[in-house]
Amino acid sequence: MKKSTIVIISIVAFVAILFIWGISVNNSLVKHDEKVQQAWSQVENVYKRRMDLIPQLVNTVQGAANYEKGVLTEVIEARSGVEKVKIDPENLSEEQVKSFQQAQDRLSKAVANSIKVTVERYPELTATQGFLNLQQQLESTENRITTERGKFNKEVQEYNTKLRRFPNSIIAGICGFEKKGYFTAPEEAAEPVNVEFNF
Amino acid sequence: MIVLGVGGLHAQWMPEKSNRLVNDYSHMLTTEQANSLEKRLVAFNDSTSNQIVIIITPTLGGDAAWAVATQIGQEWGVGQKKFDNGVVILIKSKSAEEPDGDVTIATGYGVEGALPDAFCKRIIDDVMVGPLGNGDYYTALTEALDLIEPTLRGEYSYAKYRDEERRDAVTGLLIFVGLIGVVALSLWLYYRKHPNDFNNKGNNGHKGGGGSGLFMGAYPWFMGSGTRGGGGGFSSGGGFGGFGGGSFGGGGASGKF
Repeated sequence: MKKSTIVIISIVAFVAILFIWGISVNNSLVKHDEKVQQAWSQVENVYKRRMDLIPQLVNTVQGAANYEKGVLTEVIEARSGVEKVKIDPENLSEEQVKSFQQAQDRLSKAVANSIKVTVERYPELTATQGFLNLQQQLESTENRITTERGKFNKEVQEYNTKLRRFPNSIIAGICGFEKKGYFTAPEEAAEPVNVEFNF
Repeated sequence: MIVLGVGGLHAQWMPEKSNRLVNDYSHMLTTEQANSLEKRLVAFNDSTSNQIVIIITPTLGGDAAWAVATQIGQEWGVGQKKFDNGVVILIKSKSAEEPDGDVTIATGYGVEGALPDAFCKRIIDDVMVGPLGNGDYYTALTEALDLIEPTLRGEYSYAKYRDEERRDAVTGLLIFVGLIGVVALSLWLYYRKHPNDFNNKGNNGHKGGGGSGLFMGAYPWFMGSGTRGGGGGFSSGGGFGGFGGGSFGGGGASGKF
Protein backbone atom coordinates (compact mmCIF):
# COMPACT_ATOMS: atom_id res chain seq x y z
CA MET A 1 0.00 0.00 0.00
CA LYS A 2 1.12 3.51 -0.81
CA LYS A 3 1.83 5.94 1.97
CA SER A 4 -0.84 8.36 0.76
CA THR A 5 -3.48 5.60 0.86
CA ILE A 6 -2.65 4.86 4.48
CA VAL A 7 -2.93 8.54 5.35
CA ILE A 8 -6.31 8.83 3.62
CA ILE A 9 -7.62 5.69 5.29
CA SER A 10 -6.58 6.89 8.74
CA ILE A 11 -8.18 10.30 8.16
CA VAL A 12 -11.40 8.66 7.03
CA ALA A 13 -11.31 6.33 10.02
CA PHE A 14 -10.70 9.23 12.39
CA VAL A 15 -13.58 11.23 10.94
CA ALA A 16 -15.82 8.17 11.12
CA ILE A 17 -14.99 7.61 14.78
CA LEU A 18 -15.63 11.28 15.55
CA PHE A 19 -18.94 11.07 13.76
CA ILE A 20 -20.06 7.94 15.60
CA TRP A 21 -19.03 9.49 18.92
CA GLY A 22 -21.01 12.64 18.07
CA ILE A 23 -24.08 10.59 17.31
CA SER A 24 -23.84 8.68 20.58
CA VAL A 25 -23.47 11.91 22.58
CA ASN A 26 -26.41 13.39 20.71
CA ASN A 27 -28.55 10.32 21.38
CA SER A 28 -27.79 10.31 25.05
CA LEU A 29 -28.69 14.01 25.28
CA VAL A 30 -31.94 13.27 23.48
CA LYS A 31 -32.66 10.54 26.02
CA HIS A 32 -32.09 12.89 28.94
CA ASP A 33 -34.12 15.60 27.23
CA GLU A 34 -37.01 13.14 26.97
CA LYS A 35 -36.75 12.33 30.67
CA VAL A 36 -36.84 16.02 31.56
CA GLN A 37 -39.93 16.51 29.44
CA GLN A 38 -41.57 13.51 31.04
CA ALA A 39 -40.86 14.90 34.49
CA TRP A 40 -42.20 18.24 33.34
CA SER A 41 -45.48 16.71 32.25
CA GLN A 42 -45.84 15.28 35.76
CA VAL A 43 -45.16 18.73 37.20
CA GLU A 44 -47.86 20.17 34.96
CA ASN A 45 -50.26 17.40 35.98
CA VAL A 46 -50.02 18.17 39.66
CA TYR A 47 -50.28 21.92 39.11
CA LYS A 48 -53.32 21.33 36.95
CA ARG A 49 -54.80 19.25 39.72
CA ARG A 50 -54.57 22.27 41.98
CA MET A 51 -56.05 24.58 39.34
CA ASP A 52 -59.03 22.23 39.17
CA LEU A 53 -59.50 22.35 42.94
CA ILE A 54 -59.67 26.14 43.11
CA PRO A 55 -63.21 26.56 41.74
CA GLN A 56 -64.29 24.14 44.49
CA LEU A 57 -62.54 26.26 47.08
CA VAL A 58 -64.17 29.40 45.70
CA ASN A 59 -67.63 27.80 45.75
CA THR A 60 -67.22 26.46 49.26
CA VAL A 61 -66.05 29.75 50.71
CA GLN A 62 -68.75 31.69 48.88
CA GLY A 63 -71.26 29.45 50.59
CA ALA A 64 -70.35 30.86 53.99
CA ALA A 65 -73.11 32.95 55.55
CA ASN A 66 -71.10 36.10 56.21
CA TYR A 67 -68.93 35.77 53.11
CA GLU A 68 -66.93 38.83 52.05
CA LYS A 69 -65.58 39.18 48.57
CA GLY A 70 -62.07 40.19 49.60
CA VAL A 71 -61.20 36.73 50.90
CA LEU A 72 -61.02 35.27 47.42
CA THR A 73 -59.75 38.17 45.30
CA GLU A 74 -56.13 37.14 45.79
CA VAL A 75 -56.78 33.51 44.79
CA ILE A 76 -58.80 34.44 41.72
CA GLU A 77 -56.17 36.91 40.54
CA ALA A 78 -53.31 34.48 41.14
CA ARG A 79 -55.18 31.77 39.28
CA SER A 80 -55.66 33.92 36.19
CA GLY A 81 -51.99 34.91 36.47
CA VAL A 82 -51.06 31.23 36.22
CA GLU A 83 -53.26 30.79 33.17
CA LYS A 84 -51.38 33.55 31.38
CA VAL A 85 -48.02 31.77 31.63
CA LYS A 86 -47.52 29.56 28.63
CA ILE A 87 -44.65 27.09 28.61
CA ASP A 88 -43.18 25.21 25.71
CA PRO A 89 -42.15 21.81 27.12
CA GLU A 90 -39.53 21.45 24.35
CA ASN A 91 -37.73 24.52 25.60
CA LEU A 92 -37.70 24.69 29.38
CA SER A 93 -35.28 27.57 29.58
CA GLU A 94 -34.35 29.17 32.86
CA GLU A 95 -36.56 32.20 32.21
CA GLN A 96 -39.54 30.02 31.33
CA VAL A 97 -39.29 27.84 34.40
CA LYS A 98 -38.75 30.93 36.52
CA SER A 99 -41.83 32.75 35.27
CA PHE A 100 -43.89 29.57 35.63
CA GLN A 101 -42.68 29.12 39.18
CA GLN A 102 -43.32 32.75 40.12
CA ALA A 103 -46.94 32.54 38.99
CA GLN A 104 -47.49 29.16 40.66
CA ASP A 105 -45.82 30.16 43.92
CA ARG A 106 -48.02 33.24 44.04
CA LEU A 107 -51.04 30.96 43.76
CA SER A 108 -49.65 28.63 46.46
CA LYS A 109 -49.41 31.58 48.80
CA ALA A 110 -52.85 32.90 47.88
CA VAL A 111 -54.47 29.50 48.49
CA ALA A 112 -52.71 29.07 51.83
CA ASN A 113 -53.74 32.58 52.90
CA SER A 114 -57.35 32.17 51.89
CA ILE A 115 -57.59 28.92 53.82
CA LYS A 116 -56.07 30.60 56.85
CA VAL A 117 -58.50 33.51 56.61
CA THR A 118 -61.43 31.14 56.07
CA VAL A 119 -60.55 29.13 59.14
CA GLU A 120 -60.33 32.34 61.19
CA ARG A 121 -63.48 34.03 59.92
CA TYR A 122 -65.85 31.20 59.15
CA PRO A 123 -65.39 28.58 61.85
CA GLU A 124 -68.80 27.07 61.06
CA LEU A 125 -67.61 26.35 57.52
CA THR A 126 -64.44 24.61 58.61
CA ALA A 127 -66.46 22.15 60.66
CA THR A 128 -68.12 20.71 57.54
CA GLN A 129 -66.87 17.49 55.97
CA GLY A 130 -66.83 19.14 52.55
CA PHE A 131 -64.37 21.80 53.63
CA LEU A 132 -62.21 19.28 55.49
CA ASN A 133 -61.98 17.08 52.41
CA LEU A 134 -61.11 20.05 50.26
CA GLN A 135 -58.46 21.15 52.71
CA GLN A 136 -57.00 17.64 52.70
CA GLN A 137 -56.98 17.56 48.91
CA LEU A 138 -55.28 20.93 48.63
CA GLU A 139 -52.72 19.92 51.22
CA SER A 140 -51.80 16.67 49.51
CA THR A 141 -51.73 18.43 46.16
CA GLU A 142 -49.06 20.72 47.57
CA ASN A 143 -47.17 17.59 48.66
CA ARG A 144 -47.43 16.17 45.16
CA ILE A 145 -46.22 19.46 43.69
CA THR A 146 -43.18 19.40 45.96
CA THR A 147 -42.44 15.79 45.04
CA GLU A 148 -42.74 16.29 41.29
CA ARG A 149 -40.69 19.46 41.40
CA GLY A 150 -37.96 17.51 43.18
CA LYS A 151 -38.04 14.78 40.56
CA PHE A 152 -37.99 17.35 37.76
CA ASN A 153 -34.98 19.10 39.30
CA LYS A 154 -33.14 15.82 39.49
CA GLU A 155 -33.69 15.10 35.79
CA VAL A 156 -32.69 18.64 34.82
CA GLN A 157 -29.58 18.32 36.91
CA GLU A 158 -28.55 15.13 35.10
CA TYR A 159 -29.29 16.71 31.74
CA ASN A 160 -27.43 19.93 32.48
CA THR A 161 -24.43 18.08 33.87
CA LYS A 162 -24.25 15.93 30.76
CA LEU A 163 -24.69 18.96 28.54
CA ARG A 164 -22.02 21.11 30.08
CA ARG A 165 -19.32 18.53 30.51
CA PHE A 166 -16.47 18.80 28.02
CA PRO A 167 -16.29 17.49 25.30
CA ASN A 168 -20.06 16.81 25.20
CA SER A 169 -20.61 20.56 25.24
CA ILE A 170 -19.22 20.79 21.69
CA ILE A 171 -21.79 18.35 20.35
CA ALA A 172 -24.52 20.02 22.41
CA GLY A 173 -23.60 23.34 20.80
CA ILE A 174 -23.63 21.90 17.29
CA CYS A 175 -26.95 20.07 17.80
CA GLY A 176 -28.60 23.02 19.53
CA PHE A 177 -29.19 21.60 23.02
CA GLU A 178 -29.64 24.27 25.65
CA LYS A 179 -29.43 24.43 29.41
CA LYS A 180 -32.73 23.96 31.23
CA GLY A 181 -34.07 25.75 34.28
CA TYR A 182 -34.58 24.45 37.82
CA PHE A 183 -37.26 25.13 40.35
CA THR A 184 -35.76 27.11 43.18
CA ALA A 185 -36.75 27.13 46.83
CA PRO A 186 -39.44 29.70 47.60
CA GLU A 187 -38.16 32.99 48.97
CA GLU A 188 -40.36 33.32 52.04
CA ALA A 189 -40.07 30.60 54.63
CA ALA A 190 -43.76 31.06 55.51
CA GLU A 191 -44.86 29.22 52.38
CA PRO A 192 -46.29 25.75 52.70
CA VAL A 193 -43.87 24.35 50.11
CA ASN A 194 -40.61 24.20 52.00
CA VAL A 195 -39.28 20.73 51.44
CA GLU A 196 -37.24 19.90 48.37
CA PHE A 197 -36.48 16.33 47.47
CA ASN A 198 -33.26 15.03 46.17
CA PHE A 199 -34.22 11.67 44.79
CA MET B 1 -24.76 13.20 43.82
CA ILE B 2 -24.14 16.92 43.55
CA VAL B 3 -26.20 18.91 46.03
CA LEU B 4 -28.41 21.31 44.12
CA GLY B 5 -28.29 25.00 44.71
CA VAL B 6 -32.05 25.08 45.15
CA GLY B 7 -31.81 26.06 48.79
CA GLY B 8 -34.58 23.81 50.02
CA LEU B 9 -33.81 20.92 52.28
CA HIS B 10 -34.33 17.32 51.34
CA ALA B 11 -35.25 14.75 53.89
CA GLN B 12 -32.43 14.68 56.44
CA TRP B 13 -33.47 11.51 58.15
CA MET B 14 -33.47 8.49 55.90
CA PRO B 15 -33.26 4.99 57.32
CA GLU B 16 -30.99 2.60 55.48
CA LYS B 17 -32.82 0.36 53.02
CA SER B 18 -34.11 -2.55 55.00
CA ASN B 19 -34.98 -6.06 53.92
CA ARG B 20 -37.99 -6.19 56.20
CA LEU B 21 -41.46 -4.73 55.82
CA VAL B 22 -41.88 -3.88 59.49
CA ASN B 23 -39.18 -1.52 60.76
CA ASP B 24 -39.68 -0.45 64.35
CA TYR B 25 -36.79 1.85 65.23
CA SER B 26 -38.62 3.08 68.36
CA HIS B 27 -39.27 -0.41 69.81
CA MET B 28 -42.96 0.28 70.24
CA LEU B 29 -43.93 -3.25 69.20
CA THR B 30 -43.03 -6.45 71.00
CA THR B 31 -41.02 -8.97 69.02
CA GLU B 32 -44.11 -11.16 68.62
CA GLN B 33 -46.19 -8.22 67.40
CA ALA B 34 -43.52 -7.16 64.90
CA ASN B 35 -43.14 -10.73 63.64
CA SER B 36 -46.86 -11.20 63.29
CA LEU B 37 -47.20 -7.95 61.29
CA GLU B 38 -44.20 -8.91 59.17
CA LYS B 39 -45.70 -12.30 58.43
CA ARG B 40 -49.01 -10.72 57.52
CA LEU B 41 -47.39 -8.20 55.14
CA VAL B 42 -45.12 -10.78 53.51
CA ALA B 43 -48.15 -12.99 52.89
CA PHE B 44 -50.01 -10.02 51.44
CA ASN B 45 -47.07 -9.23 49.17
CA ASP B 46 -46.85 -12.85 48.03
CA SER B 47 -50.53 -13.14 47.24
CA THR B 48 -51.22 -9.72 45.71
CA SER B 49 -47.82 -8.16 44.81
CA ASN B 50 -48.78 -5.08 46.86
CA GLN B 51 -46.02 -3.99 49.23
CA ILE B 52 -46.87 -2.24 52.47
CA VAL B 53 -44.00 -0.99 54.61
CA ILE B 54 -44.30 0.06 58.24
CA ILE B 55 -41.78 2.47 59.74
CA ILE B 56 -41.83 3.54 63.39
CA THR B 57 -39.21 6.12 64.22
CA PRO B 58 -38.38 8.33 67.20
CA THR B 59 -37.24 11.20 64.93
CA LEU B 60 -37.78 12.67 61.49
CA GLY B 61 -34.74 14.91 61.57
CA GLY B 62 -37.01 17.96 61.49
CA ASP B 63 -38.78 17.05 58.23
CA ALA B 64 -42.46 16.60 57.50
CA ALA B 65 -43.63 13.02 58.00
CA TRP B 66 -45.22 12.80 54.54
CA ALA B 67 -41.94 13.89 52.92
CA VAL B 68 -39.90 11.27 54.73
CA ALA B 69 -42.47 8.56 53.97
CA THR B 70 -42.60 9.50 50.29
CA GLN B 71 -38.85 9.51 50.02
CA ILE B 72 -38.56 6.13 51.72
CA GLY B 73 -41.14 4.75 49.29
CA GLN B 74 -39.30 6.17 46.31
CA GLU B 75 -35.76 5.28 47.34
CA TRP B 76 -36.46 1.83 48.71
CA GLY B 77 -38.65 1.12 45.70
CA VAL B 78 -41.71 -0.04 47.61
CA GLY B 79 -44.22 -1.74 45.33
CA GLN B 80 -43.74 -3.37 41.93
CA LYS B 81 -42.08 -1.24 39.28
CA LYS B 82 -44.88 -1.98 36.84
CA PHE B 83 -47.77 -1.10 39.13
CA ASP B 84 -46.20 1.33 41.62
CA ASN B 85 -48.41 -0.43 44.14
CA GLY B 86 -46.56 0.39 47.34
CA VAL B 87 -47.74 1.96 50.58
CA VAL B 88 -45.58 3.40 53.37
CA ILE B 89 -47.12 3.77 56.82
CA LEU B 90 -44.84 5.96 58.91
CA ILE B 91 -45.33 6.71 62.59
CA LYS B 92 -43.14 9.16 64.48
CA SER B 93 -43.36 8.14 68.10
CA LYS B 94 -43.43 10.64 70.94
CA SER B 95 -40.30 11.27 72.95
CA ALA B 96 -39.13 13.73 75.58
CA GLU B 97 -37.12 15.73 73.01
CA GLU B 98 -39.73 15.54 70.25
CA PRO B 99 -43.13 15.41 71.94
CA ASP B 100 -45.21 15.44 68.74
CA GLY B 101 -46.61 12.19 67.44
CA ASP B 102 -47.05 12.04 63.66
CA VAL B 103 -48.61 9.41 61.48
CA THR B 104 -48.70 9.36 57.71
CA ILE B 105 -49.82 6.99 54.98
CA ALA B 106 -47.94 7.55 51.71
CA THR B 107 -49.34 5.95 48.58
CA GLY B 108 -47.46 4.94 45.42
CA TYR B 109 -48.68 6.28 42.08
CA GLY B 110 -50.50 3.05 41.32
CA VAL B 111 -52.60 2.96 44.48
CA GLU B 112 -53.65 6.61 44.56
CA GLY B 113 -56.91 5.47 42.95
CA ALA B 114 -57.63 2.68 45.41
CA LEU B 115 -56.50 4.70 48.42
CA PRO B 116 -57.43 8.34 47.74
CA ASP B 117 -55.99 10.96 50.08
CA ALA B 118 -59.34 11.52 51.79
CA PHE B 119 -59.64 7.79 52.50
CA CYS B 120 -56.14 7.71 53.99
CA LYS B 121 -57.11 10.66 56.15
CA ARG B 122 -60.21 8.78 57.37
CA ILE B 123 -58.16 5.70 58.22
CA ILE B 124 -55.74 7.83 60.23
CA ASP B 125 -58.44 9.80 62.06
CA ASP B 126 -60.84 6.92 62.62
CA VAL B 127 -58.69 3.97 63.61
CA MET B 128 -55.10 5.08 64.14
CA VAL B 129 -54.95 8.32 66.11
CA GLY B 130 -56.96 6.94 69.05
CA PRO B 131 -54.91 3.79 69.79
CA LEU B 132 -51.64 5.60 68.98
CA GLY B 133 -52.49 8.22 71.61
CA ASN B 134 -52.77 5.37 74.13
CA GLY B 135 -49.47 3.90 72.98
CA ASP B 136 -51.18 0.90 71.40
CA TYR B 137 -49.27 0.83 68.10
CA TYR B 138 -50.18 -2.75 67.30
CA THR B 139 -53.93 -2.11 67.35
CA ALA B 140 -53.56 1.06 65.29
CA LEU B 141 -51.56 -0.81 62.65
CA THR B 142 -53.70 -3.95 62.48
CA GLU B 143 -56.90 -1.91 62.21
CA ALA B 144 -55.40 0.26 59.49
CA LEU B 145 -54.28 -2.85 57.61
CA ASP B 146 -57.77 -4.34 57.99
CA LEU B 147 -58.99 -1.37 55.95
CA ILE B 148 -56.10 -1.03 53.50
CA GLU B 149 -55.58 -4.66 52.51
CA PRO B 150 -59.09 -5.46 51.20
CA THR B 151 -59.10 -2.21 49.23
CA LEU B 152 -55.79 -3.01 47.56
CA ARG B 153 -56.64 -6.66 47.02
CA GLY B 154 -59.34 -5.65 44.55
CA GLU B 155 -56.92 -3.50 42.58
CA TYR B 156 -53.91 -5.71 42.02
CA SER B 157 -53.50 -9.41 42.32
CA TYR B 158 -50.64 -11.82 42.04
CA ALA B 159 -52.37 -13.41 39.02
CA LYS B 160 -52.54 -10.06 37.22
CA TYR B 161 -48.90 -9.43 37.99
CA ARG B 162 -47.85 -12.79 36.58
CA ASP B 163 -49.99 -12.26 33.48
CA GLU B 164 -48.25 -9.00 32.70
CA GLU B 165 -44.88 -10.62 33.23
CA ARG B 166 -45.73 -13.43 30.87
CA ARG B 167 -47.12 -11.11 28.22
CA ASP B 168 -43.89 -9.14 28.23
CA ALA B 169 -41.75 -12.23 27.99
CA VAL B 170 -43.84 -13.48 25.04
CA THR B 171 -43.52 -10.13 23.25
CA GLY B 172 -39.75 -10.21 23.75
CA LEU B 173 -39.57 -13.74 22.40
CA LEU B 174 -41.72 -12.90 19.36
CA ILE B 175 -39.50 -9.95 18.45
CA PHE B 176 -36.45 -12.17 18.81
CA VAL B 177 -37.92 -14.94 16.66
CA GLY B 178 -38.99 -12.32 14.09
CA LEU B 179 -35.45 -10.97 13.91
CA ILE B 180 -33.98 -14.42 13.40
CA GLY B 181 -36.53 -14.93 10.64
CA VAL B 182 -35.48 -11.70 8.91
CA VAL B 183 -31.79 -12.60 9.11
CA ALA B 184 -32.43 -16.14 7.85
CA LEU B 185 -34.61 -14.85 5.03
CA SER B 186 -32.04 -12.32 3.87
CA LEU B 187 -29.27 -14.92 4.05
CA TRP B 188 -31.40 -17.29 2.03
CA LEU B 189 -32.23 -14.65 -0.59
CA TYR B 190 -28.54 -13.77 -0.83
CA TYR B 191 -27.66 -17.42 -1.19
CA ARG B 192 -30.18 -17.85 -4.02
CA LYS B 193 -28.59 -14.98 -5.93
CA HIS B 194 -24.95 -15.84 -5.25
CA PRO B 195 -24.76 -19.54 -4.33
CA ASN B 196 -21.04 -19.61 -5.08
CA ASP B 197 -20.13 -17.04 -2.44
CA PHE B 198 -20.91 -19.48 0.30
CA ASN B 199 -19.02 -22.39 -1.21
CA ASN B 200 -15.90 -20.73 -2.48
CA LYS B 201 -15.18 -17.57 -0.50
CA GLY B 202 -15.07 -18.14 3.20
CA ASN B 203 -14.98 -14.40 3.80
CA ASN B 204 -18.52 -13.69 2.73
CA GLY B 205 -19.91 -16.54 4.72
CA HIS B 206 -18.11 -15.22 7.72
CA LYS B 207 -19.68 -11.82 7.20
CA GLY B 208 -23.14 -13.36 7.35
CA GLY B 209 -22.24 -15.07 10.60
CA GLY B 210 -21.12 -11.75 12.02
CA GLY B 211 -24.49 -10.28 11.19
CA SER B 212 -26.46 -12.83 13.14
CA GLY B 213 -23.90 -12.50 15.92
CA LEU B 214 -24.96 -8.90 16.20
CA PHE B 215 -28.54 -9.97 16.71
CA MET B 216 -27.48 -12.56 19.21
CA GLY B 217 -25.91 -9.68 21.07
CA ALA B 218 -29.28 -7.96 21.10
CA TYR B 219 -31.00 -10.97 22.61
CA PRO B 220 -30.40 -10.20 26.28
CA TRP B 221 -31.71 -6.70 25.71
CA PHE B 222 -35.09 -7.93 24.51
CA MET B 223 -35.33 -10.48 27.25
CA GLY B 224 -34.17 -7.83 29.67
CA SER B 225 -37.11 -5.62 28.77
CA GLY B 226 -39.39 -8.58 29.23
CA THR B 227 -38.48 -9.17 32.83
CA ARG B 228 -37.96 -5.55 33.78
CA GLY B 229 -40.79 -5.40 36.28
CA GLY B 230 -39.50 -8.34 38.32
CA GLY B 231 -36.93 -7.17 40.79
CA GLY B 232 -37.47 -10.17 43.07
CA GLY B 233 -40.62 -8.95 44.77
CA PHE B 234 -41.74 -12.40 45.83
CA SER B 235 -40.53 -14.94 48.26
CA SER B 236 -41.15 -18.64 48.34
CA GLY B 237 -42.27 -18.81 51.93
CA GLY B 238 -40.41 -17.50 54.94
CA GLY B 239 -38.84 -14.07 54.60
CA PHE B 240 -39.48 -11.08 52.40
CA GLY B 241 -38.13 -11.30 48.84
CA GLY B 242 -37.15 -7.64 48.34
CA PHE B 243 -38.59 -4.41 47.08
CA GLY B 244 -39.83 -4.17 43.52
CA GLY B 245 -38.86 -0.61 42.49
CA GLY B 246 -42.18 1.25 42.83
CA SER B 247 -42.48 5.04 42.57
CA PHE B 248 -44.14 7.61 44.83
CA GLY B 249 -45.54 11.00 43.92
CA GLY B 250 -46.53 12.52 47.25
CA GLY B 251 -50.02 11.02 47.59
CA GLY B 252 -51.55 10.08 50.95
CA ALA B 253 -52.48 11.84 54.15
CA SER B 254 -51.11 12.67 57.58
CA GLY B 255 -52.33 13.19 61.11
CA LYS B 256 -51.12 13.99 64.61
CA PHE B 257 -51.62 12.15 67.89
